[in-house]
Amino acid sequence: MCDTCGCHALGKEGGSSGFTVDVHRSLLEANRKQAEGNRLHLERLGATALNLISSPGSGKTTLLEHTADALMPGFSMGVIEGDIETERDAERIRKKGIPAVQLTTGGACHLDAPLVHQGIHRLVEHAGRDNFDFVFIENVGNLVCPSTFDLGEHRRIVLVSVPEGSDKPAKYPATFERADLFLITKTDLLPYFDFSLAEARKEALEVNPDLEIIELSAVSGQGMADWIAWLRNLRN
Amino acid sequence: MHELSLATGLVSTLEGLVREHGASRVIKARVGLGRRSGIVEESFRFGFDALKLESPSLRDALLETIVLDGDDLILMQVEME
Ligand SMILES: Nc1nc2c(ncn2[C@@H]2O[C@H](COP(=O)(O)OP(=O)(O)OP(=O)(O)O)[C@@H](O)[C@H]2O)c(=O)[nH]1
Ligand SMILES: [Mg+2]
Repeated sequence: MCDTCGCHALGKEGGSSGFTVDVHRSLLEANRKQAEGNRLHLERLGATALNLISSPGSGKTTLLEHTADALMPGFSMGVIEGDIETERDAERIRKKGIPAVQLTTGGACHLDAPLVHQGIHRLVEHAGRDNFDFVFIENVGNLVCPSTFDLGEHRRIVLVSVPEGSDKPAKYPATFERADLFLITKTDLLPYFDFSLAEARKEALEVNPDLEIIELSAVSGQGMADWIAWLRNLRN
Repeated sequence: MHELSLATGLVSTLEGLVREHGASRVIKARVGLGRRSGIVEESFRFGFDALKLESPSLRDALLETIVLDGDDLILMQVEME
């Protein structure tokens, strides 16, 4: 008997004037509706939207900085940054000449669709144009919570960096199950860690057989061409 | 941690149903948690039990959870009086 589970109140079924209502209503419905709205909105801007999910420090912002250099001549991009606090990531992207807006959640461990809706409006205003080829949404650094929330993206990307270890797909399956692309980042560090590419690939494909996988390093440039080719292919 | 914001959604949905049905309180709410929802049941329950104390019509509400296929979080049934 404890208050937490409410078991003290069990067994008082009979004799009450209680009635039961079948509701069957999704508690994620409000977010999902807004996410659908975001997707349409992004399509009206001509954009393919990508939601980047990873633990803190897996290299999301660094990848976007290097992606800007590789994409910029032919494609236009905008970035919506999500963090708990600070404008820092948006500032890093703007230094590359890319329009970027910062969403701060003030404590929440994930972005949600209503917040991203504001972000889309602010991005258009900040950039002074309503046309993008790619809109990247960098989620709050967290490998768990963001996976529950559709933001209106067209593709979802999960990143794991070599120092984090190759057991992450097995330990955080829900995130990998719902992703389209798995990026193994910081491969320049492979000689210094016991990260097994084979294990990461195998276990990721066990939870999601349709997952595409690319290994890359923003620092050495290895694999960056595959990533850029993957992005370009989305626009064909 | 996102379980808390989802529990907040459950509280406001239940409060709405109490008003809608002219009831005085919720006895029990049955919620289906998708196996692939990424939602941790204990955290969701913890959040709900903390939040319900601030709501007169939910103070004694029981939360019953069942596991569903898929990735949704569904309020299935509510017992009120
Ligand atoms: N060796 C190596 N270091 C990298 C690479 N990519 C990023 N880093 C470093 O990893 C650290 C974190 O990178 P960020 O790009 O800030 O990571 P993030 O995922 O944006 O981090 P949060 O936004 O805080 O979640 C920085 O010190 C980067 O310089 C890489 O390919 N190789
Ligand atoms: Mg970052």
